[in-house]
This record gives sequence, C-alpha cells and structure tokens, in this order.
Amino acid sequence: MTQCHEDRVTGALSVTGNAGGLFHLRDGAVIAVESAGSPGVETLLLSSGGISAEDWDAALVESVGTGSLQAALVARGSIGLAEVEAVAVAALQDGAFAVAAGDVQECVVVSDSADVPLLPVTGGVAPALLLAETAGRLDAIASLPVPLSPYRDRVVPGRATKSMSGERREIVAHATGRRSARDIAFATGRSLHSVTVEISRMLGEELLEIAPPATAFSFSHWGLPSLRPRAPGQSSGKEMDWTTTPWPPNCGRSERTSPE
Amino acid sequence: MDYDALAAELRTIRENVAGVTDTVIAASDGIPILTDVAKNVEPSHISALAAADLGIARQAAEVVGLGALRQTVVFGSEGYMAVYSISRTALMVVLGDKGLNLGRLLHESRPSIERIGSIMTP
Repeated sequence: MTQCHEDRVTGALSVTGNAGGLFHLRDGAVIAVESAGSPGVETLLLSSGGISAEDWDAALVESVGTGSLQAALVARGSIGLAEVEAVAVAALQDGAFAVAAGDVQECVVVSDSADVPLLPVTGGVAPALLLAETAGRLDAIASLPVPLSPYRDRVVPGRATKSMSGERREIVAHATGRRSARDIAFATGRSLHSVTVEISRMLGEELLEIAPPATAFSFSHWGLPSLRPRAPGQSSGKEMDWTTTPWPPNCGRSERTSPE
Repeated sequence: MDYDALAAELRTIRENVAGVTDTVIAASDGIPILTDVAKNVEPSHISALAAADLGIARQAAEVVGLGALRQTVVFGSEGYMAVYSISRTALMVVLGDKGLNLGRLLHESRPSIERIGSIMTP
C-alpha cells in the first residue's frame, strides 16, 4: 500500500482472504475500504438514524445521473456534509481493521478498476496514517482482557445478570451462539471494531460466553438413506399421484429422524 | 450417507466465508438432507423453495442458452440466498447477510460442491 502511495496509484488494492476487502485508491490515497468483515457506509449511516432508508434509496437513484451520492444525500436536507464525511471515514477505518484482523491470502493492485466506491472520503487518507491507525486497533484487540477473534469466536448470553445499556442489550439479543462479533456488527449496524471491543468486555463480565461448537454449528439430518431412485413398487401410491414424470426423481424416505 | 463428511464441508463454507449464516443440502425435489440453520429458518421451507428456484433457473439457462447452470442467487436488501446444483439429484443452499462477498462464496463453494458430490455418490 505504501508503494501504491509512492506510485500515486488510482484504482484498487484487492485483498483476497477471509474477510478480505477492497482498498479504493486515488492518487495513492485511500478513499474507501469495502470488506465483507465490516458494515459499510450504508449500514452505518442507516443505523445511526442520520438518514432514512427511503432517503438513501432516493439519493442512490438521483446519484446515477449526477455521479455524486454525497451531494444527493446532503441535498435531501436530512444530513450534513460533515456527518456523511465522518461516517465515510469511520467505515474506511473499520474496513481496514476488518481486513487486517482476518486471514490475508493475496494482495493485487487493480489499477484500472472500474469499481467506484459509493461514498469516497474527499481527499482520501494517507496509507501511512491508515496503517498506523489499523496497527493501533489490532494491538488494542490483542491486549483486551479477554482476547477475541471477530470471525471465529461465536457468543451466547452468559450467566451474569445485571442491568445493561441499550447497546449491550442489543448485543445480547443477537448472541444466538451462531453469530461472531462480525455477524453481530452487521446485525446491529455498528462498526466491527466497537462491537469486538464491547463483546470482549462483556465476556470478561460474564454477560456473554464463547458458544460451544454444538451451538455454533447445529447440524441435523433427515435420515435420507440414499439419493438413488427407488425401485418400482417401493413408492407409495400417494407419491406417484403427484408426479407423473421421471423428474424430479423420487428421493427415498422423507420422515425426520432427528429432533426439530 | 456419510453425514459427518457432509457436515464438515458445510462447516468449512461457513467458517471460510464471512457472512454465511445458514447452509442446507437437500434433494432436488426439496427434501432436506442435512441442515445447519438458525432457529428462525425452517429447513423444509428453504429446501422446497430452493428446489423450485433451481428448477426455474435451470430451465431459464437452458432456454436462453446460458449453458450448464452453476448457481442462482436471490438478492435481498438484507441478504442473499444462493442455490447450487450439486448433481441431478441434490442441491445446496447458502444463506448470507448483507455483508456476504458473493465472489468469494462462489470461489470457495466450487471445490466444496465437487467434494459434496463425491460424498453423496455411493
């Protein structure tokens, strides 16, 4: 990324991995980061209540002609330029953290990327600043009282009962045992970094616990013995009534053998 | 059928692709075979819908001349439902939230589908 800054690259730096992501660059500065690991600008803006879903959709339609979603959003009057910009910067920093906190397999510079970010940060952020900020966030996560992987660890409500802030109640409500910090960040529309830090603190206070594997993954099967079509005469007459063609194939017994 | 081997494949997909929330393997006629879903997802409904979805998509691909069907994806404002054909007799459903990277899912699911197909072929 530093090399991209020196070469004043306009395009994108694509990071393959889980969660992976795309760093959008203009003249070597980072103007947006999109990652499957962190909620994007749209989610953050909508959940902050700064803008309604209707206004967002309308601004998106308008921006197709004008080319600037930022201008279309501000023109609708419900949100100021400074707020849009602040959320865009927050989403950018959170995206960089999401990429760095996950597995990185490969980085490729796509200099002629036609993929334009929805809400770029005006002027962009210098890579050196972003890298320092991201390193700081990674250090902060590593030194938390209860270290937590934002992608691998899934959480359930803990034993402790005490009054909690609305923010914490929301996290507990989404802690089904199947969701990681990343999943809860998307479900609540808050940044990955803040949700990860909060979950770690709540683990320390026993308000949450790491979910056992059987809760994180709940497999059940229906006892289907085979996908081979049954021999003629094995099928019940009822099944033959509703399918008179050989397709779809008859797929054997359908009763459930596992608890629902 | 080796359910443990199938479960390991579904687990790999959910662990390796951020945003995947639920996975289902079903017979092509919509009967669930193996599921890993949240409480609010009804496996038999999803399986039946996916079978219908895949049937329509397969027919569309054939009529329009798009070649062999690889996947069909429903885009919602809050997430995705991707349906893959495993063989003529089975399918796989992957549900994802709005953050799911569909490109990565397609990339990761291809080898998984190959393996799932071999596990299911006796």
